[in-house]
Amino acid sequence: MCQLITTAFVLLGALSTFGSSKPVAKVQLPCDSSYQDLSPSGTQLVVHCKDHSVHVVNVPEGTERRVFSADQHANSFLYSQDGSWLAVGFENGTVELVRGQGTAQSKRWKASSRRIDMLYFFPDGKTLVVGPVDSPAQIWELGDTPALRASLPFEFGGLNACAVSPDGKLLVAAGDDTVLRWYDTATWKKTLENREFLLETFALTFTPDGKHVLAGGADSRITVIDAATGREVRQFPPEADSSVAFIDVLGDKQHVATVYFDNAGEKPPHELLWDIATAKSAALKTDVPLTCGAVVGGKLWVCSAEGKTLTMSQCE
Amino acid sequence: MNFTRRELLERCAAFGAVTLVTSMPLLVLATEWDEAEKKRQPTPFCELGPFYKRKAPNTSMMRVPGDSGMPLAVSGVVYNTRGEVVPNAKVEIWQTDNAGHYDIEGYRYRAVVEPGAKGSYAVESVMPGHYPTRVCQHVHYLTTAPGHKTLITQLYFATDPVFDGNPDKNYTRDPLISSRELVRPVMIKSDPKQIIAAVNFDLVMETL
Repeated sequence: MCQLITTAFVLLGALSTFGSSKPVAKVQLPCDSSYQDLSPSGTQLVVHCKDHSVHVVNVPEGTERRVFSADQHANSFLYSQDGSWLAVGFENGTVELVRGQGTAQSKRWKASSRRIDMLYFFPDGKTLVVGPVDSPAQIWELGDTPALRASLPFEFGGLNACAVSPDGKLLVAAGDDTVLRWYDTATWKKTLENREFLLETFALTFTPDGKHVLAGGADSRITVIDAATGREVRQFPPEADSSVAFIDVLGDKQHVATVYFDNAGEKPPHELLWDIATAKSAALKTDVPLTCGAVVGGKLWVCSAEGKTLTMSQCE
Repeated sequence: MNFTRRELLERCAAFGAVTLVTSMPLLVLATEWDEAEKKRQPTPFCELGPFYKRKAPNTSMMRVPGDSGMPLAVSGVVYNTRGEVVPNAKVEIWQTDNAGHYDIEGYRYRAVVEPGAKGSYAVESVMPGHYPTRVCQHVHYLTTAPGHKTLITQLYFATDPVFDGNPDKNYTRDPLISSRELVRPVMIKSDPKQIIAAVNFDLVMETL
């Protein structure tokens, strides 16, 4: 669902920021697929097949780099921001780092006995946060041999979301236990807590100036939090019967893109664009179902799969 | 006539029904036997899910008159793996209403119960509904107790239509059901006023 939601977010960005698009590639997919993950380099695609297998293919050739069969139970996928690594989390608690570019050998290690639900790369790509379901979050430094640097506990449950401050000095983690915790990334000591949330937070991001954290989750709204004190500054109006699944600040630094999922699971995700200054929102509507997207070379690329043919476009 | 384990062993040994090939005294043997039979496997973990809410009310009555759905009574005892009652446990329970909706704004079908020294708990609710992103009807549990590992699990119902009457074979139709043990038999009870689905769900916690 996260990938679908991310796709919805990308669509939001496309429509709000760009006026037209031009085709950049057509890719033959190895299977029928409802959603894909596009690498930040635009040269790879993680194709989630309806038979539950996952294929990593080259763009635009469509040649396969790697196949995860359905019985391997690969569960979560995330490219580092520079596209050099693809992190894969498995149901059996294994994490694999697959080279996104070049031919270096992949790294694979058992991080947990539990399913890996959450992966988060630090912006420099040298640290990976791993979130096994209902277990402490793990901080892995990705040298030649990945090394566990810290374990971030919760009262119960596991990691739902995290975000690193623009200067890289702080990590904010949201747990199933509804608590937000601030960590100093040099020492991994907890520096602050926010226990004001009654429900779980599913999405976190820092504002570009690092002064605020935006949090959203099952309480249907975005909460603006002072990054220095951990205290709530204000809330945006709630979206009825929905949970916030994804938040990010757009490049203009004035708008927040938000994706919501329907709590009852009966409606597809929907997107809103919030003006940070006025706390007013606009809904985004789409004509074509997009199935993936990423920022490639500063431009937004979006995809639409029809059958086994995927059309990739660059938004202008 | 009820015999203690020791008396039973003594009588069996006397009548030749049991041959003791150990130098252990009967009392020790009987105690060991008792201990072995009391031991319990920890309740299987089943994940928390996205709709946990803090500060649920302390109540054993989650339904109110007029609620739709089959009335449900769930009860059980909180044990440790040695089979001893866990005192001072706190059990948080939450579920959807009969239509498959969680109450996010308030605390309908959310409760905290504190079993106390006897370890037993009981709640009254309604059968939870199905909803599109989950296969089976279920009730969430978060159980804490001093000196024990927090237990996160879910209760399922053998009567769930998803199982086609055969939960042994079909419980994996819900990929989140980690163990057949979590699918509990349902006893239908009736009195002149209503019919109730009754379920026993003991909770076994691991010590720290």
